[in-house]
Amino acid sequence: MADDKDVLRDVWFGRIPTCFTLNPDEVTEREAEPYYLLLPRVSYLPLVTDKNFPDVDLLHCPSNSVVEAHFMSSIKEADALKHKSQVVNDMQKKDHKQLWMGLQNDKFDQFWAMNRKLMEYPTEEGGFRYIPFRIYQTTSDRPFIQKLFRPVSTEGNPHTLFDLLKEMCPDALTKDGEEKRFQVVIHGIEPLLETPLQWLSEHLSHPDNFLHICIIPTPTD
Amino acid sequence: MSDSAESPTETQKEEIHPPPDDSATNDDKKKIDVLLKAVGDTPIMKTKKWAVDKGRTVQSLAQFISRFLKLDATEQLFIYVNQSFAPSPDQEVGVLFDCFGSDGKLVLHYCKSQAWG
Repeated sequence: MADDKDVLRDVWFGRIPTCFTLNPDEVTEREAEPYYLLLPRVSYLPLVTDKNFPDVDLLHCPSNSVVEAHFMSSIKEADALKHKSQVVNDMQKKDHKQLWMGLQNDKFDQFWAMNRKLMEYPTEEGGFRYIPFRIYQTTSDRPFIQKLFRPVSTEGNPHTLFDLLKEMCPDALTKDGEEKRFQVVIHGIEPLLETPLQWLSEHLSHPDNFLHICIIPTPTD
Repeated sequence: MSDSAESPTETQKEEIHPPPDDSATNDDKKKIDVLLKAVGDTPIMKTKKWAVDKGRTVQSLAQFISRFLKLDATEQLFIYVNQSFAPSPDQEVGVLFDCFGSDGKLVLHYCKSQAWG
């Protein structure tokens, strides 16, 4: 479907309006103005922020090559789940490089020329071996949930986002008659829970080939 | 990671224990079995099988192996899953076990140089 390809572009070009303010401890003589950036949703923070910014002390990334290594390890882990690493291992080093350069330089076509290979699967299988996903919950002490989950049931029915959540974090789902307590968010939107997981994996994954799903409490206002 | 982090439990296991027959989920157990395999001319661990806390990170495990093998502080250690990818240093071994474990254990290859890119 032509519409499906549009989704890939919408995901790639998604932006988050961001405001950076200098830590009060770092202010010297003159007042620092807030700094505004439209950050690409799919990029990594160390790639878009200036060297002069205060360090973001999460996974320490002192250079672009560290971010690249992190990105490539995610790609490879995702393919280990999707294709037992067969597709990524069949690619050449320059193909891997093209994935990274496409992301780093915000080149959709360059990236997807390679990434589409990682989105293929044998027709008779109906989908990937397992779906690469991570579920983040603000109310959990775990960094995220990542487990094995097939896109198609043993009876041959496509699994949906609902099926995934039911298996991994059933509390996130609203029971009949209850008020909706949680939002299931991917790329800033709430996909329909009936959406086939295989489709989500092919179209709404991040460039690292993982579906990053956020469970957040429904805003009260 | 701080240096005061304790090492994985040094349970000496020479043989492989079969997984329990009851359907106890991995969440019920706090530790998982890890089998460490050396690659190339990297020194071989005398004890290869370890019971590791599920929440332990790959980086923490790598530091433990380096200390155990008395490697130089400047020497890097690469860890691989399925002989195909190097997991992110902040990845938890419990997640790797859930996704890539087999026969009740997680096999990790370690190497002083990059083995599988």
